[in-house]
Amino acid sequence: MKASLTRQSFIAGLALASLSLSAGSVLAQGTAKIGQPAPAFQAVDADGKTRNLSEFAGKTVILEWTNADCPYVRKHYNSATMQTLQKDMAREGIVWLSVVSSPVGEQGYVDGTAAKDLTTKRDAAPAAVLLDPNSKVARAYGATTTPHMYIVDPKGTLAYMGAIDDKPSSSPASLTGAKSYVRQAVAELKAGKPVSEAATKSYGCAVKYAPLS
Amino acid sequence: MAQTFRKGFLRNAVLALALIAPGLASAAESAAVSSPRVTATLLSSRDAVQPGERFQVALVQKIARGWHTYWQNPGDSGEATRIDWALPAGMTAGDIRWPAPKALPVEPLVNFGFEGTLLLPVEITVPESAKPGERVTLKANATWLVCEKICIPEEGAFTLDLPVGAAAIVDENAQSRIDATVAALPQPASFKAKLTSDGDRLALSLPGLGAEASDIRFFPLSDTLIEHAAPQPATPAANGVSLQLVRSSAFKLENAELSGVVTFREGGLPRALAVTAEAEPALLTAAAGASAAPRPAVVRLPVPVEGADLTLWAALVFAFAGGLILNLMPCVLPVLFIKALGFAQLARAHRDEVREQGVLFLSGVVVTFMILAGIVIGFAALGSSVGWGFQLQSPPLVIGLAVIMTLIGFNLLGAFEVGTSAGGVGQDLASRGGRLGAFMTGALAVVVATPCTAPFMGAAVGYAVTQPPVMGLAVFLALALGFALPVLALSFAPGLLRLLPRPGRWMVILKQAFAFPMFATAIWLVWVAAVQAGPGGVLAALIAVLAAGFIVWLVGVTRGAGAVRLAATGLAALVALGAGWFVLQSAVPSATSEARAGDIQAWTPERVAGLQAEGKPVFVNFTAAWCITCLANERVALSRQEVKDAFAELKVASLKADWTNRNSAIAQALAEQGRAGVPLYLFYPGKKDAQPEILPQLLTPDMLVTAARRAAGKEIKTASR
Repeated sequence: MKASLTRQSFIAGLALASLSLSAGSVLAQGTAKIGQPAPAFQAVDADGKTRNLSEFAGKTVILEWTNADCPYVRKHYNSATMQTLQKDMAREGIVWLSVVSSPVGEQGYVDGTAAKDLTTKRDAAPAAVLLDPNSKVARAYGATTTPHMYIVDPKGTLAYMGAIDDKPSSSPASLTGAKSYVRQAVAELKAGKPVSEAATKSYGCAVKYAPLS
Repeated sequence: MAQTFRKGFLRNAVLALALIAPGLASAAESAAVSSPRVTATLLSSRDAVQPGERFQVALVQKIARGWHTYWQNPGDSGEATRIDWALPAGMTAGDIRWPAPKALPVEPLVNFGFEGTLLLPVEITVPESAKPGERVTLKANATWLVCEKICIPEEGAFTLDLPVGAAAIVDENAQSRIDATVAALPQPASFKAKLTSDGDRLALSLPGLGAEASDIRFFPLSDTLIEHAAPQPATPAANGVSLQLVRSSAFKLENAELSGVVTFREGGLPRALAVTAEAEPALLTAAAGASAAPRPAVVRLPVPVEGADLTLWAALVFAFAGGLILNLMPCVLPVLFIKALGFAQLARAHRDEVREQGVLFLSGVVVTFMILAGIVIGFAALGSSVGWGFQLQSPPLVIGLAVIMTLIGFNLLGAFEVGTSAGGVGQDLASRGGRLGAFMTGALAVVVATPCTAPFMGAAVGYAVTQPPVMGLAVFLALALGFALPVLALSFAPGLLRLLPRPGRWMVILKQAFAFPMFATAIWLVWVAAVQAGPGGVLAALIAVLAAGFIVWLVGVTRGAGAVRLAATGLAALVALGAGWFVLQSAVPSATSEARAGDIQAWTPERVAGLQAEGKPVFVNFTAAWCITCLANERVALSRQEVKDAFAELKVASLKADWTNRNSAIAQALAEQGRAGVPLYLFYPGKKDAQPEILPQLLTPDMLVTAARRAAGKEIKTASR
């Protein structure tokens, strides 16, 4: 039987070898997909509190990737467009989370104190600012730009991902007549309709990613 | 242009003019707009223009080291340079003629743009009505975004003031710089590219590209076509190459024709082609308004066992139970009997060794399940359609398994002994072989088990692939533990082993008898290969079996002697390579796997909707040739006369979704029901848009008849009414 055990290994080895051939390569990038459960995350907010996506179950959640020094972000904040949007959403009972994924030493990095200062100074109204200096949340969602917007519906399903509006420009003049994809998606969700433009191409500065360690 | 004078001709005259009017000295180049990052000018190929002529100007950007500006499609972030013109009446400017971009990685993102010195040429047309002796003033406002890691939007206003002459005066230097840029612009390709859907990916075929082209990259003009950062592996295709692309998460394609630039190197030189590609109609998203075609919401049905609204605990329990039941499925039984037989031989003498083997079998099962699950979950995360049992969608792998089964069969019959040549080697090595063997038996058992789906398994596996990876893997681990439990229990239960009779002649006979299920499995696998790849698949399978048999025989008869042995090993390797090559060549999946039976139509979602709209109940059978459970159901339930009669009477339309080969539409339909594999049986009521009922994975004729009545709205009312 010893001999036939060797035989088994020979045969099974063949099987495994051919199996690994069929496996192919698997690459990884943002796993966020419309209609699928939004990637779970855990991050510390500006107050040092650990926040989870799951704590907002039953509520609509908007994620806003931001970097206070990015010209595209500044366009939306200097004109108060972003703050107005945040306040309007809060009035609808929607949770607004601003996410800062710049690592230490990169443009846009803030600690808790700086994040709170920014919120006060800009009169912004996020429910929380999430600090993501190791870019974990950004990787989970595949965020590419600031701003980059994601909407999670009350069931935890990703309902929208992409640009904040349809004018990919850093010029303040582009705000006139811009169509807000976020407002459109929220209105459609509220009406119980499918989101007509659920995935759009975001625009802005590149998210400053922390190197994978 | 005959009247055009070269600058050299008139240099002195121009110089003289310049002395008189210093403001004109740099007429061919505007004043520079400078920042620490970019120095920009507007460069003209003319010192003087001629009425009716067309000439080139270029926006020049000298970009500081480490910084870049952007192409038409900036990639993952950024913004393209724009020029707005203010020209004298009658004068017109064309669009920017974009040089080929470079891919600029900003891990993990990729931008498309330019570094160093960049010329963006624009063609200007001078009206016939321009009068020699006048001056024309070209004004341009340009905006661009320049980024290193941080981004700065910049803009500049440029003015070119040019005299109109009876003849044009060319600025030699400017002209040659612009000419060089124009010469390097992407040349229109002589071929038409094709964009097709490749599962959840895209394939771009470039029929005109030579085999010597390397570093091929496609830059689409549209920024909603592909994931810009994804690698673009190239494979040789019909007289050219094919690039594999990853569909953008914001995928949108409203026009059947799309354009872009393909860059590559040929003979060490960079080349760029402007290509237009025709997209396969299925890729078109509905035109404006309903863009990004909203996927129909996934409907979860309130069917207790089969629904995917499982909790993690329920999924774990289901998975464990499914794994246990999987042991009874026909695909794995022979493998398990061989393992049990091994235990019986070892039982009395080496109890510890039996236990060790049990544990090793368990590890083989767990590791293999984790590898398969990792692949399935990984692909699901990427949005690709790989389902449970995916490895059997590859004809070469099916053929490989057929060969293995045949060899095991002949080995059980005693036709050859693998490894007896190692007889002289010490006990150590042999027992190491035994350990590896036990592990590998576990692995083999899993590989042959996957085409079987046991009850409870479908829902659990479906749950696993839609959950975060850790939870998914936990479910597969439960499945693996359930599957390995019986053999493990046997190895740890001396009482059970004692029940087995003493090793003896009965064991030899039993061992030989088990050869036949192995051959049966091999026959089934060859049949699967035939369904997948047609007659070529059968030939490939039989050649592979022949080659394997020859190799085993050759190695068997030449043991011992050094040189002969070496020659035989070489020959065996050659035969193996040749046969492997042949299998890969001939076992190519055939394009269609339409339903074969006469009155059963092939499934498409549209057909279901159409039939429902006609008021017909629809039965859909999601199946595959390699799915044993499916075949069993077809035999014991679907093909029974009473079922056929009931279907005919209730006017049920039968559709078949054959998943023997890869098919992303079927994979998506399975996913919508929370499943990762076949079988799946759906009964749609004959009412527009009505949701289907999911039938259990093991069918009975009764079940089908009742479900048909429900779907037709003709349930039998019981007597108690």
